[in-house]
Amino acid sequence: MAGARYLRGATLGVVTVAAVSVVLTPLLVMARTVWIEGGADVADILTARGLSSAVKNTFLLAVAVTVLAVPLGTALALALRRPNLPGRAFWRVVILLPVLVPDFVLGYSWLRAYGRAGFTDDLLGVHWPGVQTPVGVTVVVVVNAVPLVYLITAVGLAARSEPAMERAARVSGGTALSVLRTITLPLLGPATATAAVLVFVLTLGTFAIPQVMGSPAGFSTITTRIYSNLARSSDPLAFTEAVTLALLLVVIAVLVVAPADALLGPRLRVTRVATTDSTSVAGSRAGGRWAATGIACYSVLAMGLPLLALVATAITRAVGLAPTPENWTLDNFLAVLNARNGEALGRSVMLAAVAASVLVVLGGLVAALERSRSGRGLATLVSLTLVLPGSTLALGLLLAYGRWLGGTLAIILLAYIAKLWAFAHRPISGALDRLPPDELHAARISGAAPLTAMRTVVLRPLAPALLAAWLVCFLTALHEVTMSSLLYGPGSETLAVVVLNSAELGQVGVTSALSVVITLVLLIPALGFWIAIRGLNRGKASLSPVPPVPEPAHVG
Amino acid sequence: MARSGTPRKFPIMTLRTSFARLAAVLPLMLIAACGGSEQAPTTGGSGASDISETITLYTCVSDTTIQPVIEAFEDDNPGATIDLFRAPTADLNARVAGDVRSGGLQADVIWACDPLTMQDYVAQDLLGGWTPETEVAEELRTEDYVGVAVLYMVAVSAEGVTPPESWSDLTGDAYADGVVVPDPGFAASALGALGYFSQDPDFGIEYYQALKDNGAVQVSAPDDVTTGVAEGVYKAGITNANSAYAAQNAGSPIEIVWPEPGAIAIYGPAALAADAADSDTAKAFLTYIASEEGQTVIAEAGSYPALEGVSGPTIPEDASIVFPDWAALADQKDDLLADYQQIFGA
Repeated sequence: MAGARYLRGATLGVVTVAAVSVVLTPLLVMARTVWIEGGADVADILTARGLSSAVKNTFLLAVAVTVLAVPLGTALALALRRPNLPGRAFWRVVILLPVLVPDFVLGYSWLRAYGRAGFTDDLLGVHWPGVQTPVGVTVVVVVNAVPLVYLITAVGLAARSEPAMERAARVSGGTALSVLRTITLPLLGPATATAAVLVFVLTLGTFAIPQVMGSPAGFSTITTRIYSNLARSSDPLAFTEAVTLALLLVVIAVLVVAPADALLGPRLRVTRVATTDSTSVAGSRAGGRWAATGIACYSVLAMGLPLLALVATAITRAVGLAPTPENWTLDNFLAVLNARNGEALGRSVMLAAVAASVLVVLGGLVAALERSRSGRGLATLVSLTLVLPGSTLALGLLLAYGRWLGGTLAIILLAYIAKLWAFAHRPISGALDRLPPDELHAARISGAAPLTAMRTVVLRPLAPALLAAWLVCFLTALHEVTMSSLLYGPGSETLAVVVLNSAELGQVGVTSALSVVITLVLLIPALGFWIAIRGLNRGKASLSPVPPVPEPAHVG
Repeated sequence: MARSGTPRKFPIMTLRTSFARLAAVLPLMLIAACGGSEQAPTTGGSGASDISETITLYTCVSDTTIQPVIEAFEDDNPGATIDLFRAPTADLNARVAGDVRSGGLQADVIWACDPLTMQDYVAQDLLGGWTPETEVAEELRTEDYVGVAVLYMVAVSAEGVTPPESWSDLTGDAYADGVVVPDPGFAASALGALGYFSQDPDFGIEYYQALKDNGAVQVSAPDDVTTGVAEGVYKAGITNANSAYAAQNAGSPIEIVWPEPGAIAIYGPAALAADAADSDTAKAFLTYIASEEGQTVIAEAGSYPALEGVSGPTIPEDASIVFPDWAALADQKDDLLADYQQIFGA
């Protein structure tokens, strides 16, 4: 068992070094900067006009988005688990579409779809006046967050559900609702909690959607104030204010996330035997059709129309022209697809792949460590850099490492790791506690080498979670622009940086084309991954000791 | 773009930092290797003057303007290389702030988009102390920096709407619930406009109150104003001339006017970094962009030149132009912005 102790020590060492490097050091350097440069001004900054309403807006937005996105994402995951759902494979991919689109583009696409003179206005003469209000901001941030909740919950279902128990309950006469309430949802507890924390933190730090959509209503958040200060940060006072507000976000995140992690985490965990079969009791055909209709409506309204509006913008010669054939152009696409951008695209793909791979390892290690006392708190710690808006996190890294790594791909990689660590960790964490330690011991005692035991006992049931974590990190890193555009140097320009440098953020045509190209480029590998995940699930299902039980004839 | 052919890839860096950076990058060589494997260009070419270094330029000017300028300068000065960092003002300023606090400003030349930013850097002794000989008008330069491009804030109006003749028209009934303005907390050019209106006794900050009372709406960037008016969401708005003409030339249905008392000029100043006081290449680049030759390249690339007599993008014949008092604005900007946010905030 000395080997196990060494392994644990080494794991803790690696995670600690990484957490200190990419999370703690930037935060401490930022705090030190405020201390040295702003000392006396901090009180003024925290009592400045308008800050209290920005804090209130930020907090309410995060609460509202969490309360809406978590049930919605969970419902989608539960619905898509039904094997008899028409078009299940298709919807599973569709639900993830918002991950492929940078959030400011999602904001634009909603304005184009539902705003005044937008898609529905042109077509049907109706528009949604609320789209440029706090309500609109909330709805779009929810749409942006739902895929994450869906992914974490789906992975949680794959890893934690007890189909045999559910079937037994149904056969014994339990209604679908009572099975959901007493068996499925309690087992999903850790996944739901982890999704809620992630969405909350993500929303605290969200910048682009409030800025793009909330501006007309004067809706300010902490992040929009930070940006406004950074815009004037040639003035040391504004710079100090930006950093102070960023740290305020971190404090809010700590105050909410630390208790949530400390209380919810251990309580929601249950030790169970390992069976892996993620398909649920089939349920009625009519129910399946209803669920499919619901998902279709959500997909069309939340993603279909906005993305259609986005494509229309990308192929139209100039804003304000009707998206009809005589106004079509490929210029916006040519601006994205030139040779210089090809090089940048290669660099982006490589950087995103490296980041995602490192992140899955680091996320998995934290998920493993947080199960013991010495590792508690790590989960909270690695979520803190997620709350920082990209520009501020990039600034923190620049302050900490600029003198050595400034302008290199290495500092961009560090930024991706810092920003997305929680993205990688939480889905794995939500799925991990299905691993019974007994099985690992059993494998070792039966003569399996440590790596074999790891591979066969630990990694295989976790594969869907690891792949999901990898995928979400890869996709998010691929179109990341805020941090890269602050950190790049000669030869380390990513695709989004190059494209957005030639067309300012406001030029919607080119920006839309970028999103369309990224979406298309990604759909191919995304499909590959989806097939791989499905294959893994299939493989496990066939290994399952529990044979599928026929549908019950009567359905409540 | 023609520059795509130049074999300049990672790692290229100034000599003074290359070893420290390389050491730090070693653990991540995998990534670095994929970025390219060429050696840094040899410095010290031929020629009498020493205009053959690699210098670093930080700017917020768009790629379409800056790339042809760099190309032309490098063609004129074989051996000279310009490493470019281009980003929107907020990112640019954050990068400078990060540099200054972690080993010093990496740029040898900064070409900013508004004088306020420059004033701050000069006050911190990061830039200035030298300007090239130039014919650029005095109101567009100081002894620390020189204006090399100009943004004009103009008015745009939608199809079927009578274009405004003066800025004050926008507060009238004809534009009720239909005016859109860019957010001065987001865009420096919008802050320049706010500065001008607040300083002109005929307008004052009350102008924004009147706009707001007339149902005006704020959006983030001038480009968002152009887009919103082109789409017919708004009747008229305040945006920059480049954005407006680019949309109009592409076919967007908008009218562009240079309203009375004048389009608001916001010049983009360039300056030498204090640490680059000995760099002949950096000085040569500044001299070039402020010269007639450089100004012509800038104008042909689509930006408004600072030098009179160089023909650039459209300026109507009878257009008048007004200038904010930048020196005064430096002290007022925080209060102004807070006042503005009282009006246009939630």
